[in-house]
Amino acid sequence: MDIVHRYGEWIKNKLPDNPKAASRYIRLGLRLESFAKRHLGDKNVPLPYRDLNCLALDGMLHTLEHPESAAWTNLFTPVEILQNFDLTCLSIEMMGSFLSGFTIEDWCIDQAEAEGIAPTLCSYHKAFIGAVDAGLIPMPKCAVTTSIVCDANLQTFRYTADSRHIPTTLLDIPNEKTKDSLAYVVKQLKDWIAQLEDLNHRAFDLDKLRDTLDRENQSFEAYRHFIELTRTRYYPSTLTLQMFVLYASHLIIGSPEALDFFKRIETDAASRPVFSGKRIFWLHVLPFYEPALKHAFNLSKKYQIQATDMNLDYNLPLDLDHPLEALAEKMVDNIFVGPLDRRIDAERRLIRETGADGVISFNHWGCKQMAGAANLMKKALSDTGIPYLILDGDGIDPRNSPEGQIKTRLEAFLEML
Amino acid sequence: MLAYICKYTPIELFESIDVEMELMEPEVVQFNRAEALLHPNVCAYVKGVLEMFADLVSKRDDVEGMIITSCCDSGRRLYDALKATYPDKFIYLLDLPRKVTPEAVKLFTKNVSTMISAYSEHTGRAFYSDGMIRPLKAYLKAHPPALQSDAPADAKVNVGLIGARCSQSLIDTLHAHGAKLLFNVTCNHLARLFNPAEIGRLEDYCEQLLAQFPCMRMAGAEDRLNMLDDFEDKLDGLIYHTVKFCDQYHYEAAALKKLETFHVPVLNLETDLTRQSSGQIKTRVEAFIEEISANKSKADTQADGEAAPADTPEAVKLVPAEHHAAPYVLGIDSGSTSTNTVIIDGSGQLVAWDIVRTGAKSILSAEKAMHQVLDKAGLKREDLARIVSTGYGRDHLPFADADLTEITCHGKGAHAFDPAVRTILDIGGQDSKAIRLNAAGDVVDFVMNDKCAAGTGRFLEMMAHTLDVSLEELGQLSLKSKEDIRISSMCTVFAESEVISLIAENKEPEDIAHGVHAAIAGRAISLLRRVGIEEAVMMTGGVAKNPGMVAVLEDQLGLKLRIVDEPEIVGAYGAALSGLEQL
Repeated sequence: MDIVHRYGEWIKNKLPDNPKAASRYIRLGLRLESFAKRHLGDKNVPLPYRDLNCLALDGMLHTLEHPESAAWTNLFTPVEILQNFDLTCLSIEMMGSFLSGFTIEDWCIDQAEAEGIAPTLCSYHKAFIGAVDAGLIPMPKCAVTTSIVCDANLQTFRYTADSRHIPTTLLDIPNEKTKDSLAYVVKQLKDWIAQLEDLNHRAFDLDKLRDTLDRENQSFEAYRHFIELTRTRYYPSTLTLQMFVLYASHLIIGSPEALDFFKRIETDAASRPVFSGKRIFWLHVLPFYEPALKHAFNLSKKYQIQATDMNLDYNLPLDLDHPLEALAEKMVDNIFVGPLDRRIDAERRLIRETGADGVISFNHWGCKQMAGAANLMKKALSDTGIPYLILDGDGIDPRNSPEGQIKTRLEAFLEML
Repeated sequence: MLAYICKYTPIELFESIDVEMELMEPEVVQFNRAEALLHPNVCAYVKGVLEMFADLVSKRDDVEGMIITSCCDSGRRLYDALKATYPDKFIYLLDLPRKVTPEAVKLFTKNVSTMISAYSEHTGRAFYSDGMIRPLKAYLKAHPPALQSDAPADAKVNVGLIGARCSQSLIDTLHAHGAKLLFNVTCNHLARLFNPAEIGRLEDYCEQLLAQFPCMRMAGAEDRLNMLDDFEDKLDGLIYHTVKFCDQYHYEAAALKKLETFHVPVLNLETDLTRQSSGQIKTRVEAFIEEISANKSKADTQADGEAAPADTPEAVKLVPAEHHAAPYVLGIDSGSTSTNTVIIDGSGQLVAWDIVRTGAKSILSAEKAMHQVLDKAGLKREDLARIVSTGYGRDHLPFADADLTEITCHGKGAHAFDPAVRTILDIGGQDSKAIRLNAAGDVVDFVMNDKCAAGTGRFLEMMAHTLDVSLEELGQLSLKSKEDIRISSMCTVFAESEVISLIAENKEPEDIAHGVHAAIAGRAISLLRRVGIEEAVMMTGGVAKNPGMVAVLEDQLGLKLRIVDEPEIVGAYGAALSGLEQL
């Protein structure tokens, strides 16, 4: 049993009787991890990635230590608006990943299931619910979610936040982009902003939002250029780091720190050696703990995960003259919104742009949209002629990731490439 | 004919222009075709609809297509799968807002208009250009809402039904067992109430459609449970129905559990809408109705001024009574692995008991078990005043005078053996259950495992087989374990391959055995937690004889389990006691 497991066991023993102490241990663990990554980090990992890792750990710690200025969100929440009010984000997905990092996700998931939450629900959501109900996560200032991709978002926040009278907002995102559907979203954004103004006793600053969106446009330009560079260059990465990029591309996007990260990887990649291995384009979340996948991909010179589609889920520069309309359009245009045909077209484009030699589509336990889409997408994308593997598993809970099966499938697939 | 799945579909609009609308209510046998298109973990209803639609298309030539709303993730994927499979049919995804604001109504009306135009284009039929409002108004006037009237003549109890969509067979089962449905607010079972006087434009109709009693995916659903306030005095029980792999309604079921103001007994019932699940539904519904009928008659007695009988019998020792006298009652528990019998006398004393392995035909095992126990008691068939059966084979024993579910019988048996027991864990060969009792020994809540073998005796048998030891040896082995090994997979098949890899890694058999027991214990404890763990906790069923299992459970629970000498006969004993009460 390694040190992380021991620490996790220790927290789990504290949890039932003393959630406050368990919560303290989690914060202490984050602090130690951030220190370790900053001073003892693996020198093979590019410096911008190591710094991003620390940034995310510190960000997480901040939301737990200052819940009064934190908002619970999901990955697709327009955080640009929250930044306008200096609110930080604690997302369900990130919290679930950290709980898994501490190997206490199983306890939290069992807790949620014991309450009557469906065992077949997404593990990120179950872990989040269990952690909230166990008192591990302090109550935030507010909670906000969108209906993008995942049915569970609205339900989880209703169950954990709204029921405790935390101001909770749903942004309902329609399936199709029309004049009316955009107007529907813009109206919701305006209502939400008015609520935030009341809650924070301060006015919304449209110019500040413009600056945020400007940095966001620059960030994505840098990231796209980075992706283009890694078609030919070797840029060492791990499954965990790909998940950390989600922190930059979604949870702090538009901030100076996010822009700095994207600019640095862009510059850094340009000076890297040529990559002669195989490139993988990943669909959906990555199970960063999975032994066979870690062995195959982490800092590997043979196989490089170019990106996950979740980091490239929209593709338009935002119109700075109409910032709210631009945010509405960004959400409605997200590649995961609407009929599958739209996503298939987007994936086809991304496979081309990343120069992938193979595609791995990860069927995360409990994700109904992915479970429904995987076979249909594989069939539709067979015309690209690129090998395509569907892997069943779980982003955070090893109990739903059959180790032997993943290993055999993955190895056969890599042999195929 | 146009098929549809969701209560937010504007069916009146289509019917007003003479389009036949048919609600998809699948009760299928298998999901073979659906699972070729979608992953098995997609909601059972959606898979059922795919199967049913394929059947419809092959049998009828008037199937024009299907209207699907963007109700949920699985629903959207149903659209994608149908669209890819039937390119020539009218497969339409109607985007449905989650809010009921003026902007949402405007958007929804636009979406409905666009759909009608698309249908017009598909069929080549021209429709009214005024938003079809005239035929719709005429239609609504001519078709006032039909009120639900489904009550059996001899209703014993009043129940409400809420949650995810249910099949007709669930409603039929409830009626067959004497339950009157005071309400059924599952999808598509609500009356469609419109106020034609307030419908002047299409937008008005769309607004009324959106503003129905909300389903869980709508933004206003947080207040749904408030409706129960009006029914609390009238309900004997509430059934909360969920569909396998539709996770949305579990949130509300969990919130209902936390609701301190609602005191009506609740049965959480999960089905996958297949015909096979109807057997399981039957056991659970029967047990629930037994439970709430008992509550009701007790409440009635108390209301009549009679005090409830002081119910504190002495714990029954497992020794056959030396002196006993007629009447004799036989309880028989026909389980999947063993058939257990108990004979008691008129004072409830044990006379004899027996355990027989259930063979391929449960009726033969039952007859054998009855003869053996009669021999042991020195009695004849004619000496028996009554025979009560329980267990999964309870309906198929022609010699039984009455039958009761194993839930009620385990509760009764456990309470008689040890009145301090409040929680029971029964791990049987094919299913496991957690039951909670009140001080009087009445069942107040219970849950059963899913229909897979995870967490049952069968799982242990398969693991013993993989480790090449007997079931008895497996338990003993586990006690000698030194290293913690985690068997993470709860699926029997995957767990087997995990065990095989552990063997390949040269792990010690005792540690693997311990891991197997710990995995089942985890499952069992989560069942127990769902009913709430209140001491004392009794374990019943054959697996209670396994010392390895008991040790792991006691360790994880942090308490001592109460186990009678023959934990397998608790259900049969409970059945016999019920028989005695019936005399």
